[in-house]
Amino acid sequence: MNWSRRHTLALGAALIVATNAVALLGVAYNRSGTPESELRLSQRELRPPFQWGLQRENSGLSLTLVWQAGEPYGSTAAWLDRAKLSELGFDVAQPAKTPAERRRYERLRSKEVYLVLELAGPAYQAALDAARERAEKRKAEALAHPGDAKLKTQADFSENQLSHEEHEASRLFAIDAGLDAKALRAKYADRSRYAIVRGRVRPALEGNGARVGGYVSAVINDSVNVPLDMRKAFEGVPPRSYGFGPRYAGPEIEATVAFGKRFEPWLVGVARKP
Amino acid sequence: MISGEGGNERVPVQSRTEAQQRTDEIHAFRRELQDLERRGVLALTAEQRRALESHHDALLAEYARQFDVDRDAKAKQLSWGMRIASLAGALALGASVFFLFYQFWGRFSTALQVAILIAAALGSFAATAWIQRRDGSGYFTKLAAMVAFVCFVLNVAMLGQIFDITPSDKALVPWAAFALLLAYACDARLLLGAGILCAVAFVGARTGTFSGAYWLDFGERPENFFPAAALLFAVPQLARHERFPGFPQTYRVFALLTLYLPMLVLANWGQLSYLDFDPGLVKGGYQIAGFLASGLLAWLGVRRGWAHVVNTSVTFFLIFLYTKFFDWWWDWMPKYLFFFVLGLTAVLFLLVLRRLRAR
Repeated sequence: MNWSRRHTLALGAALIVATNAVALLGVAYNRSGTPESELRLSQRELRPPFQWGLQRENSGLSLTLVWQAGEPYGSTAAWLDRAKLSELGFDVAQPAKTPAERRRYERLRSKEVYLVLELAGPAYQAALDAARERAEKRKAEALAHPGDAKLKTQADFSENQLSHEEHEASRLFAIDAGLDAKALRAKYADRSRYAIVRGRVRPALEGNGARVGGYVSAVINDSVNVPLDMRKAFEGVPPRSYGFGPRYAGPEIEATVAFGKRFEPWLVGVARKP
Repeated sequence: MISGEGGNERVPVQSRTEAQQRTDEIHAFRRELQDLERRGVLALTAEQRRALESHHDALLAEYARQFDVDRDAKAKQLSWGMRIASLAGALALGASVFFLFYQFWGRFSTALQVAILIAAALGSFAATAWIQRRDGSGYFTKLAAMVAFVCFVLNVAMLGQIFDITPSDKALVPWAAFALLLAYACDARLLLGAGILCAVAFVGARTGTFSGAYWLDFGERPENFFPAAALLFAVPQLARHERFPGFPQTYRVFALLTLYLPMLVLANWGQLSYLDFDPGLVKGGYQIAGFLASGLLAWLGVRRGWAHVVNTSVTFFLIFLYTKFFDWWWDWMPKYLFFFVLGLTAVLFLLVLRRLRAR
């Protein structure tokens, strides 16, 4: 068969149409039926991007899903212990005492797993309690030694930390991981409190190699696009950094984010709180 | 397709590159003939000369009409300028399309965003085909093809962003296929390079996932690129490329870069390897492998007459050598001596290559 320009045109057009069809059918499948989970998030969990660099040219709006894994404010998770890592398929049975053994652990790479995100649940309460306890302890220490500037600074820092946790920080916590999404859903049945998402975890040696732990390196779909008809609700919501900053003074938002059959999120609705 | 008829012989010419090659050969032949006649080595009869000239003139006119080839050295120089302008224009227009959409897409509804993305990909592809029918030189076609490729990449990437689709290495497959389709349809080496890069990334990602890693981490183990290097090197051996004279070189040069660059990384950071040995040992192993591979492939290049393979391999052999010299001697050797040693090795290299050339 002689290859003609007509063949090229047909093949190219078919490739474009087929690629779009596959992508859009995947989207339709993800959003079909009842969502796998549906969370009501606030501006604490959904943050707009900073307007710098090329972002200034972007007329669209994608929010970043903000989450925590452990306490305080890190991605290291206490529940990601040796047993859990082993359950996730990491070879962590060996000790990590010699340099060669430690090197083996350092070489382990991240793995894609299902993560359970809990909204304003026991994990958030525990982080809040820990921050409160720390603030009270530091405050008591500072009061016991009125002339000690270092203790005063530490007390102020802990107070800010508590305030941040109470009013600013995300209440969404990664609390568990697994390779079977159905088993995780059976364990965490409340679909309005627990979302199952795709994420990545990685083993890590802690305390100079004394303990094998792990951290959540990413939530894979951590971006939520805002369609044109919902943009207005996010006007005036300022971008913020993850650390402490000036107290949030923007509008209070309640956004419903659904996660579908492929665990991909989308914005279902949004409202400004009075 | 046109053909040059020489007696009973038909020489098919199907691409601009081939037509240009034939034009250059005819000019070289005419110069040589003039020289031979001036020296009295050869004398054609008036009839032979007329037949030859009319045959060549007809061919040259046909090549110029069909493919807009460069008829002389001046036209060739201008052609180079056009080629550079076409490349710069293709890159700039591609970026312009991207930023145009980026600037306005937020003002449209989701349905309109999707419609614009698909229409832009299909429309730019159709425009490329339309321009190709009217553009004998190929410069405008290549420019349009690059814009069509950018539109398609943008189409898929933005669908991912609009619908928060899980990032996947599978997107690289249609991108590679589309770039290669355009490259072969428009004889565009820039798009061939783009297609090869997409294919290398896909094969690398797949190789990485076979070992259980997340696909985007494939760069953490440079060995993931080696299967892609082998596949690329095999392509011009398995598929004939008569109509695309520059393509086998492009495949081989990309294959060599896909082999040597990861080797160079591993020769400096052994801990990145899949090999679970002492990083120093792995590093040393890859240094030796780098010397052996570049030496062997330079030899193969000489044997097969692949100048591009020889040049790329010799360049990397020197890079492997100089990074080793840097490791060994930079700290303790006086700098004049260090650079003197580098200079001496270059001279030694020249002597070896001269001997090879003389064979």
